[in-house]
Amino acid sequence: MTSRTLWLLGAGLLCLAGAVFAAGTQGFAEANPVGTNPNPVRLMRPPTAPLSSMALLGKEIFYDASLSSSGAVSCASCHSPDHAYGPANDGPVMLGGATLSRQGARAVPSLTYLDRHPNFSIGPDKGDDDNIIDLAQMAALGRQATRTTKTAGSSGASANIVPQGGLFWDGRADTLQDQALFPLLDPNEMDGGSAGIVADRLRRAPYVNRFVELFGAGVLRNQRLLIAEAMFAVARYQVEDVSFHPYTSKYDYWLEGKARLTESELRGLQAFNDPDKANCAGCHTSAPTRDGLPPLFTDHQYEALGAPRNTALAGNRDPDHFDLGVCGPQRTDISEQTQYCGMFLTPTLRNTAVRHAFFHNGVFSTLEQVLDFYNFRDTNPEKVFPRAADGTVLKYNDLPQKYHANVDVTDPPFDRHPGNRPAMTEQDEADIIAFLKTLTDGYRVEN
Amino acid sequence: MKSRLLTTVAIFAAASALACTLPVLADDFGRDRDHGHDHDNDRDHYRHAHDIHTETPIKHLVIIFNENRSFDHYFATYPNAANPSGSIPFVPKPHTPKVNNLANANLLVNNPNNNPANGTGATDPFRLDRTQANTRSQNHAYTPEQQAVDNGKEDLFPKFTGRGTAGGAGAFGTNGQVMGYFDGNTVTALWNYAQHFAMSDNNWTDTFGPSTPGVLEVVAGQTNGVQNVIGTSSSIADGQGGLTLTGDTDPGNDACSSKTSTMLMDGKNIGDLLTDERISWGSFMGGFDLTLKNANGTTGCARSTFSSNVNGTIVDYIPHHAFFQYHKATANPTHARPSSVHAIGHTHDFNGKVDPANHNYDLEDFYAAVKAGNFPAVSYIKMPAYQDGHAGNSDPLDEQAGNVELINFLQKQPEWRETAVIITYDDSDGWYDHQYVAPKNASYDPTADQVNGSGLCGLGPNRQPAPNGLVGKPVNGRCGPGTRVPLIVVSPYARTNYVSHNYTTQASVVRFIEDNWLRGKRLGGGAFDAGAGSLMDLFDFDQDHRHDLRADALFLDPTSGTVMTSPPDEHHHH
Repeated sequence: MTSRTLWLLGAGLLCLAGAVFAAGTQGFAEANPVGTNPNPVRLMRPPTAPLSSMALLGKEIFYDASLSSSGAVSCASCHSPDHAYGPANDGPVMLGGATLSRQGARAVPSLTYLDRHPNFSIGPDKGDDDNIIDLAQMAALGRQATRTTKTAGSSGASANIVPQGGLFWDGRADTLQDQALFPLLDPNEMDGGSAGIVADRLRRAPYVNRFVELFGAGVLRNQRLLIAEAMFAVARYQVEDVSFHPYTSKYDYWLEGKARLTESELRGLQAFNDPDKANCAGCHTSAPTRDGLPPLFTDHQYEALGAPRNTALAGNRDPDHFDLGVCGPQRTDISEQTQYCGMFLTPTLRNTAVRHAFFHNGVFSTLEQVLDFYNFRDTNPEKVFPRAADGTVLKYNDLPQKYHANVDVTDPPFDRHPGNRPAMTEQDEADIIAFLKTLTDGYRVEN
Repeated sequence: MKSRLLTTVAIFAAASALACTLPVLADDFGRDRDHGHDHDNDRDHYRHAHDIHTETPIKHLVIIFNENRSFDHYFATYPNAANPSGSIPFVPKPHTPKVNNLANANLLVNNPNNNPANGTGATDPFRLDRTQANTRSQNHAYTPEQQAVDNGKEDLFPKFTGRGTAGGAGAFGTNGQVMGYFDGNTVTALWNYAQHFAMSDNNWTDTFGPSTPGVLEVVAGQTNGVQNVIGTSSSIADGQGGLTLTGDTDPGNDACSSKTSTMLMDGKNIGDLLTDERISWGSFMGGFDLTLKNANGTTGCARSTFSSNVNGTIVDYIPHHAFFQYHKATANPTHARPSSVHAIGHTHDFNGKVDPANHNYDLEDFYAAVKAGNFPAVSYIKMPAYQDGHAGNSDPLDEQAGNVELINFLQKQPEWRETAVIITYDDSDGWYDHQYVAPKNASYDPTADQVNGSGLCGLGPNRQPAPNGLVGKPVNGRCGPGTRVPLIVVSPYARTNYVSHNYTTQASVVRFIEDNWLRGKRLGGGAFDAGAGSLMDLFDFDQDHRHDLRADALFLDPTSGTVMTSPPDEHHHH
């Protein structure tokens, strides 16, 4: 495949974004009092079929708590199907380990809407295999290139040479099968012990015959292959089972002309898309792709936003400990690329309203806090960050001083300064939250 | 006048014979033929393929030229699939002949590629499930493919042609992925076609290397004679002051080609010979018509299609696959449109003017021409890229959908009873295949050639001279045969559940056309058609097909590849 092929994906997506935005934001509240989408689109949802043998095996593994040292934790414990495959608890992180007393390092991301998630790369969007440029080379190029400001509906994002794709908050896993092994072995999570122990547990699992059926008897003798295929099966379950990407939110149906948004929700959508207000859609893309694929509400890129430190995390008791995302400490392969210190993956906002832990460190527990952070970080930082003993505001207190320059101060609303008017009014924030609630799956269309 | 009268009589006879068994088809048949004759006149350009003398009963040949699969990669365990629970089981027919594959060669375990020289990629062959259809493309360059052969030991595939999916676990994440093979639970349609029609297990690319050399072999049998147009090309010095193509380069002057590297080829191709004899022919490629607009709004060279299997939007037209754009005489660099659907396949339009399309069309034009009763004698087909089978931008399931849809369509045409479809491949993609054949076409480039040692493809320039190039002297860069690739013939005249072991190559397709339509004329200029094996073994022309049209068709479900009991409805796109 030529590089031409995938280039299109990014470019076209943004073109269409422009069109839909134009159509979608024409005086919602006034001109369109019924709240329906004046320009309905046909959304192309992923094809559905009965689960394959592979996916059925993956489902058994996904719910198998016997793979954990406690015997009580499965994938589904932290990625609860009743909470959009995100955490079921109210705290910033989940607990794991042999006695379920160890904090996980970061807020648990949702496993929904990862079926179209690209592998980790350092942009711009590119296609094939034939000319492989390693991450360090791309990072070096990125340092020389100027970054385009990302505003809703513009085409800046896909051309930027910044990290994108990959799973976890730092993108250290490329594929779902790669990702699935980390929590299984993490001592703070399922605490599986070692590859040898996990393989033994798989060999004793009630579903062991499915392995033999799918991969031949030799698979049980080959520990590396056994674990690899098990993780592929888990990934395949997530790809095939529609509950991981149902696209049944009120907003999806609104896009299709099958649901009405309230006045508040419509105003929220408008503010969400408005570059002069919240500009959320600059990163959390809200328009369908030109192929009619539903929007994912993320551009899959990384940002350093400078969220406040979460003192509730055990690891943060050490004042010298900092979670720097792409450049470490959990991710270790590009730690020398310090321009990425503090960067974390932009998550999807689908089902965000069912969460109680926001940002990588779970420092916020409500959407109001999140919106306040975006609104006041630069105009009224004292509303967002704590003060030192001498009364100075500790802006970006979860990042060492030397990395403060990495924080995004160009994309609206982060381009403002103390004394400027905040981008959003209280009403705007309430409207945006109302809109965000339309991104929760399981909406029932009338009639 | 006389010949026209005879034809009409013959058609009535054929139509009434059909009417006894297949009234629906007979109706189409009569309508289409009459339609064609409305426009008939004395000029060559409306010579219908049915009326042209052929050596065999085949009046229409359709070559579906897919991408990048080795024989073992698709047929390693044929005819036995793993049939895991939940799959649609593939049940082989009794008396299916043995094929030369991994299972019968006893190479599924203790495979020579499971050796330390392959590092972390060392592995026995392993099954790829239908859920794993979207793989990485392997390395299919001229030299690495030769290195993998390792002087006939065929034991260094992971090391030289293997590539792993980034982030893929197990063999998927290492160069060992090259040892993966699909079975009838994934490439279901091809296995079904093989069961009902004829397949070769000894068909090869003429040379090592990727798409463009393969494309040139299947139309011209010759990769020597490169003339760079812009920049340099993926070619090597031929040792006689010229260049031989060993890699992919876009055709010169094509509106969609690269702006930094293009080339054209000297010499002739089969299109020249067919044009000379006024035999209708065409190249039909997905994405070729730049005036169309796809469902996603794309147009021109950028027309693209989203595939949920590869999870990406893929540009339809790939210039370096364009069969006839490399030779000036058969090219349509601006992608000009034919003057009408009736001009398709012909050099001149209805008014006797040279038709602007010059035999190069879109795949949509193929459907349109056949529906209009204007089925060319020879048709080369390239699916839109998402359906071409090339790992990375396509996959076996999208490939299957495109192929089956086209073959289902053809089987419903009245012309089916005199049609043959050849499904074959431009290259192996580098996927593992166990069979070695010592080079028949030698080449001695000091760095590029590596089959039998450094600078060696063959026994040495004295004992085994390189084949002659375009100017009649031995040239380098044509080392081959390259890799073993599938070849299936779907036709009422194909033998049933038959496997041919005759040695053939891509240039055998050229030879078949020459033998059938051109009284065995050859291209000359050192082209491989002269010595290519014959495909005739795959056919049985003694069968009587007049009363058994339905039995000669095999309708498959495009998604699952399984046999359908009744013909499917028309696809809405065409």
